[in-house]
Amino acid sequence: MDSEERKISLEAKDLHLCYGKKTILTDLSFELFEESCLVIMGSSGCGKSTLLKALTGLLKPASGMVRFENGDLWGRGALPNELVLSNFGVLFQAGALWSSMNLLENVSLPLEVFSELNKKEIEAMASYKLGLVGLSGCEYLYPSELSGGMQKRAGLARALSMDPSILFLDEPSAGLDPINSRQLDELILELKHSLGITFVVVTHELDSIFTIADDALFLSGVEKKLLERGNPNELKVSSAFQEVKNFLNRK
Amino acid sequence: MLNPKVIRCTNLGEYVECILEGDWVLSVDSSEALSQWHEFCQVEQTLPKLVVLKMNPESKWDSSLLIFIFSLEDQFKTQGVRIDLSNLPQKVLNLLEFAERRKAKSGDDLNLGQTDLPSWWDGSVQWINRVSTFWGKWLVALYQFLTGRSFMRLRDFMVACKSCGASALPIITLIAFLTGLTLAFVGSVQLEKFNATIYVADLVSLAMVREMGPLMVAIVMAGRTGASFAAELGSMKLREEVDSLRTFGIPAIDFLVLPRTLALFLMTPLLTMYADLVGILGGLTVGTQVMDFSSLHYYEQTETALTHMWEIYSGLIKSLAFGLIIGLVGCYKGLHTGNDSAALGRSVTSSVVVSITFIVVCDALFEIAFSFLGYR
Repeated sequence: MDSEERKISLEAKDLHLCYGKKTILTDLSFELFEESCLVIMGSSGCGKSTLLKALTGLLKPASGMVRFENGDLWGRGALPNELVLSNFGVLFQAGALWSSMNLLENVSLPLEVFSELNKKEIEAMASYKLGLVGLSGCEYLYPSELSGGMQKRAGLARALSMDPSILFLDEPSAGLDPINSRQLDELILELKHSLGITFVVVTHELDSIFTIADDALFLSGVEKKLLERGNPNELKVSSAFQEVKNFLNRK
Repeated sequence: MLNPKVIRCTNLGEYVECILEGDWVLSVDSSEALSQWHEFCQVEQTLPKLVVLKMNPESKWDSSLLIFIFSLEDQFKTQGVRIDLSNLPQKVLNLLEFAERRKAKSGDDLNLGQTDLPSWWDGSVQWINRVSTFWGKWLVALYQFLTGRSFMRLRDFMVACKSCGASALPIITLIAFLTGLTLAFVGSVQLEKFNATIYVADLVSLAMVREMGPLMVAIVMAGRTGASFAAELGSMKLREEVDSLRTFGIPAIDFLVLPRTLALFLMTPLLTMYADLVGILGGLTVGTQVMDFSSLHYYEQTETALTHMWEIYSGLIKSLAFGLIIGLVGCYKGLHTGNDSAALGRSVTSSVVVSITFIVVCDALFEIAFSFLGYR
């Protein structure tokens, strides 16, 4: 791998995550390379979503830091650094679209608040982003009028609205049929290549993992730590851990 | 530090050269650059049929650059002017091509069809249908309950009784006491003119048991319990919990609506009795502390005013009806909420508004009926 030459986009160091007194993950350190796709995997309850929360500013780690090029995400006390957050886009598991707004308004809201564009430009931008995920012509539909797959894609368009450098996706293919799920994977690859976005994806869909991931973290719920890191296609045959091999070979 | 967006346009005869400078990013205002562009278009009356876009290699850019290019394309489409983008950075060109490709793919899985908006007539028919179905199912469920064949669990009923009975006591105490107190103050001012201040006791007790007791309890319960029923059942519907009950063959009406409506039906009169008493105590407080009657005097006057127990019963009959209205409206609104969280908010609001409207109308009907039948 040419990881030495690649630029590091995000770095997590000695992360210790817990809910109250219950420890979820300890001693977690890894770095994320620009324009790559990192998959976080592991069995249910191993802390994948918790890690994602810590990386996206929703849960403060008990100790450790999350560094982005323009600062430390948790360097300012209890609240996450907004300057760092402005580089992130997040797609939630069920899309989490705001149900009282149509798709255009959903995608426009972050632009209205954070960009200097005028109303016309914001509308054009929102339709462009919806076009990127294949939802042109659906601008004035409400989330409740969409299928699950379309809601996910609309959520993706909203996550893309501020041109983030890192996109975090929480189980993007959960609840989608194989065709929709494959289309979403293709879309992720296309976005990665065309927009140069770095992806962090939480998933346990093996097909997705092998298609989109350049790199993967395998978390262990029993040992509460990062068990192994590497390209999933390589881990599948040469992992040092039986648990990882079983997971990737569906055994 | 970001630099403002700038467009430098020069008419070179054969074509117009536009050089984009500054940072074309979301966080930089573009109104200045756009007005430069419009100014240029107005000064140059006849533009050549070719515009060449170039970009300062040091400029930063993001999607807002693409939006500007799209707007130029829109502007020139009708005038037959061609835009040459080949001098822009390769990444911009890739993105434009990607956007074009995705746009062509858009909507291939859309199956929206023509959605016919229901006419007001169809809408009303459906509404009447829904309401009467709900009523009918409720009556059937009640019949099944009375004949011992209901799915209703006693535990749910007890929990509902607690939440709309005992838990409401503090707020009812406060409201009823203050209502009684206010009635006494308002009444005393008028009665003083006739030197008949002792009749404050009659005024407070009659007003509380006939009217204010049942009405205040009903309004508080509509805002407190009716709204909570609507919110609870509505979110259960949104999370498909109601559907999961149905798939087990358990009717939502039996399992969810019946315990709540029955609990309210039985608890509202009890709360009303309590409110009547507390309201009279409120009047007594004013009578003894402000108007200097002895407690016994006030009590005896109240006793004469309420010689006929009918006065109290008539209020309790009303409150039975009010309890039923609140329970049914709250549950109906909850079970018939829409598919999103905004609809849930509307359901809760409308459950309170509709309940209170029905309560006031029902109260008026009761009073009219009582006076025509000679019970007043």
